[in-house]
Amino acid sequence: MNQEFAASFVLVLPETFLAVAAMALLMLGVFRGEGSARLVSWLAIAALAVTALFLPLAAPGQAAAFGGLFVTDAFAVFMKILILLGTALALVMSIDFNDREQIAQFEYPVLFLFAAVGMMVMISASDLISLYIGLELQSLSLYVVAAFRRDAVKSTEAGLKYFVLGALSSGMLLYGASLIYGFSGATGFADIAEIMIGQAGDPPLGVIFGIVFMVAALAFKVSAAPFHMWTPDVYEGAPTPVTAFFSIAPKIAATALLVRVLIDPFGPLVNQWQQVVIAVAIASMLIGAFAAINQTNIKRLMAYSSIGHIGYALVGLAAGDETGVHGVLIYMAIYLFMNVAAFGVILCMRQQGRMVERIADLSGLSVTRPGIAAALAIAMFSMAGIPPLAGFFGKFYVFQAAIAAGLYTLAVIGVLTSVVAAFYYLRIVKLMYFDEPVEAFDRPAGRTLGIVITGSSLLILLFVVYMAPVVGWAGIAAAALFGG
Amino acid sequence: MIIQALAFYLFAAVMVAAAAMVISARNPVHSVLFLILAFFNAAGLFVLMGAEFLAMILVVVYVGAVAVLFLFVVMMLDVDFAALRQGFLRYLPVGGAIGLILLAELVLVVGAWVASPEAAVGPIVPIPDPARVTNTHALGRILYTRYVFVFQGAGLVLLVAMIGAIVLTLRERVGVRRQVVADQIRRTRAESVELVDAPKRGGV
Amino acid sequence: MAEFWSGYALPGAIIVAQILVIIVPLLGAVAYLTLAERKVIAAIQLRKGPNVVGPFGLLQPIADGVKLLLKETVIPSGANPVVFVIAPMLTFMLSLIAWAAIPFDLGLVLADINVGILYLFAISSLGVYGIIMAGWASNSKYAFLGALRSAAQMVSYEVSIGFVIITVLLCVGSLNLTEIVLAQENMWFFIPLFPMFIIFFVSGLAETNRSPFDLPEGESEIVAGYFVEYSSMSFALFFLGEYANMILVSAMTSVLFLGGWLPPFDVAPFTWIPGPIWFAGKIGLCLFVFLWVRATMPRYRYDQLMRLGWKVFLPFSLFWVVLTAGVLMATGWVPR
Repeated sequence: MNQEFAASFVLVLPETFLAVAAMALLMLGVFRGEGSARLVSWLAIAALAVTALFLPLAAPGQAAAFGGLFVTDAFAVFMKILILLGTALALVMSIDFNDREQIAQFEYPVLFLFAAVGMMVMISASDLISLYIGLELQSLSLYVVAAFRRDAVKSTEAGLKYFVLGALSSGMLLYGASLIYGFSGATGFADIAEIMIGQAGDPPLGVIFGIVFMVAALAFKVSAAPFHMWTPDVYEGAPTPVTAFFSIAPKIAATALLVRVLIDPFGPLVNQWQQVVIAVAIASMLIGAFAAINQTNIKRLMAYSSIGHIGYALVGLAAGDETGVHGVLIYMAIYLFMNVAAFGVILCMRQQGRMVERIADLSGLSVTRPGIAAALAIAMFSMAGIPPLAGFFGKFYVFQAAIAAGLYTLAVIGVLTSVVAAFYYLRIVKLMYFDEPVEAFDRPAGRTLGIVITGSSLLILLFVVYMAPVVGWAGIAAAALFGG
Repeated sequence: MIIQALAFYLFAAVMVAAAAMVISARNPVHSVLFLILAFFNAAGLFVLMGAEFLAMILVVVYVGAVAVLFLFVVMMLDVDFAALRQGFLRYLPVGGAIGLILLAELVLVVGAWVASPEAAVGPIVPIPDPARVTNTHALGRILYTRYVFVFQGAGLVLLVAMIGAIVLTLRERVGVRRQVVADQIRRTRAESVELVDAPKRGGV
Repeated sequence: MAEFWSGYALPGAIIVAQILVIIVPLLGAVAYLTLAERKVIAAIQLRKGPNVVGPFGLLQPIADGVKLLLKETVIPSGANPVVFVIAPMLTFMLSLIAWAAIPFDLGLVLADINVGILYLFAISSLGVYGIIMAGWASNSKYAFLGALRSAAQMVSYEVSIGFVIITVLLCVGSLNLTEIVLAQENMWFFIPLFPMFIIFFVSGLAETNRSPFDLPEGESEIVAGYFVEYSSMSFALFFLGEYANMILVSAMTSVLFLGGWLPPFDVAPFTWIPGPIWFAGKIGLCLFVFLWVRATMPRYRYDQLMRLGWKVFLPFSLFWVVLTAGVLMATGWVPR
């Protein structure tokens, strides 16, 4: 026991380090008092970077810790690096914003770190118990940051809505988990998988109910339709960098969790859950494409866009095989950078010291701020899936997987909705390049923000150049999930 | 054994009745008091099952701390129940339909209940003999070894909840003069008392 | 039928008799504690105290009891009658049922349960309900304020009591009260755990709403707090409950820190005195300190009370738990 126990602690070293760092920063903030937000933020970013360094050290291959509560494998490392990157970028984008909006408090980066710890636990969870703990740690931190601008009605509304619906989805998750436990007698993914293999032909009804409940709950967390109704309100109400964070890291983590739950313990039951995932994917793609058309607020537009993107990612999952998961991983990696670029630009939207959020405010941006306009245009083209930008390849891999798995209808619907979605992405480009300029945005936007926007736009633009290693790495990660 | 059976039916009946009263009592404070009664009887059922540690923790944590705060809030809120029930009839069909669907699902699930042969793997951690190991020891042994990871994770969840509550509600008031005990104790007689010779009819 | 008599009726009767053996002397002690309080405080204040009813005023508690019994119970018209009546009964009952787990000597205990100390902790944490219910059901501002104060105070101090109990049971390795006493055969715990002993006793003062933490009553600000509307026997039940709780906290202090029924030294003249007498003596000592504190200390202000509980006792007892656990692990003194 002791040997294995000690080894377990090595495996969770990244999570432990990040949690301890968060607590240390909390103490630092408390004792330094007011005005320590900027320092704590940069230290938090440093902590995230160090954690990323620990990841490959702690996890040389596939290994389980604490009797199977926690696993590390290439899939987990890949997803965790995306999470750490997303959290760090969201924090970088927050620093200046929070200072200007006077909500700079040291608890903000600390909560981000705790959310990151929760997401890492989610990604590595291989037991229903650790899954729930990770999910709650992440969600609870997010509820708080959503309401962080506590004097604004919209922000508190966002926090409250997110909290109530999140709590509902956690309840559904627990209901599903208890049904699964009741019918299989195990909480560990490996044990459940073993039992499910024996019953793949005729699984107990309770387990199917349990899976449906868990998928519904996780669909809440990734904001897939028809469980998406909280997304636009929360995205609109939360402070913009928080929205950026919401649209990146928690989605990636919840997607990873969904993939692991469906592939690991319930892989043998793929015929049972495939139809649910297909239905959710189609609904998300349709909602994402059609509901976004009429939006006038850029943050609401991004909310619907993210619903649509989750739909495309789920197309890959619906295939239920290694190619499908490979597609999901590539899609999520690309999605991360597209959203960072888009939200970086949204954070630049300030007129006379106030944030503006209307899409119409972007009119003629190419004249007043050509650099920012170019960056947003790249992000929008990529999201619309125009080759040779990154977004095209994301869609390409998931649709390819769907076709390979024989899901032609799904692939066709996916392509059609991308065309519809392209309409509103391109409308923004048209606004920026062909409409009369309105009032210019304030400058300077901030050097860190500029670096983030430039960097992510370049990554999207030059995806073809470095495509091979990313695709290869995602392939290794996807293979790790099917390795057993 | 008869006494145990009687005790079981007593606790179970009171618990179910109290639970029913929680949702049907008109006065919210009464609801909370019935909730406490239900907790208490649940603790009694735990004792009957030989899980005395869980029973006591249930009383200490839920009845002694959580329900007190509940009661506090309910007493202070002064909920207007007439207003709360206004939409009752309007939402009854929808709510009733959802309830019926859930009921039907539960019936289906329970009806299809077959303990699969593979499910009989038994508990992952062997249950120690209750005659030799008290269940406090037994719980401690797995909570701090096998489940230490989720135990600490749950601790983090609570920490985040605490930070969140403070961040969202604490407002520093300016101009509040706080008591500094150290300053009060450090004060010497020489600093605070001055002897003056007051001239007659002059004042100080 | 024979089985009924030998299997159920007889054991039942024995249990009832045992309960009576505990409760009757306890109620006597409660009655005379009220007299002792008046006498001790009078002595400290250089007065005589009650000295008219009987020799040295010894019949005073009986006279008081009869007076309260004969008066009319008034239920205020705005009150919630059911809760109003249940509240004092609950308070009184809780102060009695805790005694089931207290060991008076080796083997001399009504229910020798595995989790005895948790049982006591759970019962004492329930005590707050009698007060909240009384304050709410009275439908009076003063009573409600008193109840809120009391609830906040008891919940706050329970936390540090919990940590003190954890330190003790780290040293014992059992939650059973008899084992806790037996573990003190060589050294009573108040020596190695002296700070915890003080914290426990002071928290006990707060937990029983005794001076200097008697804000829930606070007669100078909120008249009499939660029981301002109570009269006659319902008032008497609160009164008895408060004094029974004092005795209970003293008994807990004796069991946890002063070696329960054990004599101070395990040699001849001390061992001649039976255990229950030692136990009663230790309880008496603690009770005297209760009264002494009441006669000496001014009442705490509310914010000072909260500061003491959350900012002094809680961190300190938490630190001491970690320290104790660390020392036990480092020295290998961990029990079992």
